[in-house]
Amino acid sequence: MFVINCPYCGEREQSEFKAGGEAHIVRPKQPTELSDDQWAEYLFMRKNIKGVQFERWVHTHGCRKWFNMVRDTSNDEIKAVYKMGEKPPTK
Amino acid sequence: MLNYSNVITKENSYSGIQMKEIRPVMKLIIRGKKREFLSAIGKSLNLLLPTEANTSSSSEKLTALWLSPDEWLVYSNEISNPDNNNYETENLLNKNISKVNLGAVTDVTDQFVLINIKGDKIFDLFETGSPFNFNDFRRKKGSTTQTILAKIDVIIHNQNQNEVNLFVRRSFSQHLFSWMSDSASRL
Repeated sequence: MFVINCPYCGEREQSEFKAGGEAHIVRPKQPTELSDDQWAEYLFMRKNIKGVQFERWVHTHGCRKWFNMVRDTSNDEIKAVYKMGEKPPTK
Repeated sequence: MLNYSNVITKENSYSGIQMKEIRPVMKLIIRGKKREFLSAIGKSLNLLLPTEANTSSSSEKLTALWLSPDEWLVYSNEISNPDNNNYETENLLNKNISKVNLGAVTDVTDQFVLINIKGDKIFDLFETGSPFNFNDFRRKKGSTTQTILAKIDVIIHNQNQNEVNLFVRRSFSQHLFSWMSDSASRL
């Protein structure tokens, strides 16, 4: 269990949130030109690394807004939280 | 707009806590982002919507709670006529907001049940079943939050010292009320 700083509501407990998978996956511009393997790569393959990961989260039981989060999956340390559409922090 | 009969017929009181349902109270969810939307609401209701997170604003007749950056809950301070399914405020907003595509106005009068809780042990009760930190909340009159209580989504409005309005979805209301009664009896 950990506390997440929702960019809209402030600090709330993790149980109010839901994780939404990896962030910043770009939909291919011309899906028709892709092979099945490439399409499957885009559609299904997600990173699941031990370490710093960029993720999408939603504040389900609060403001119901989606946002991005940089989280270290090994110790649940949250490095940064930023709104949808904002550029991910470089450091 | 159906105005169902009340779900919670009892009025329970324990040491430091009294709770009861208040009805019928008009409740509207309004959504919109544009600046014109905010000013149109302000003009129609004579009430400025709170833009700061977790706050509320109120006028003589209405109270507006901040739910999210583009969503508010507006409810009437006074009980409305039980035989009347038509709300002046809603009609006014439909005309000034929905019809001109500034935002959305939804009547949630029958979706949410308003439970009024009074007493000096309100927050002791909430602490038994909510992950929310009520320390700042209880000190600030008018603060608002959406959180979980006994695994149920609730909207809580700190109306006054030792008085809180709690909104819960109708289908959960009886269960929540009996859970709160049980919890309050053990404080």
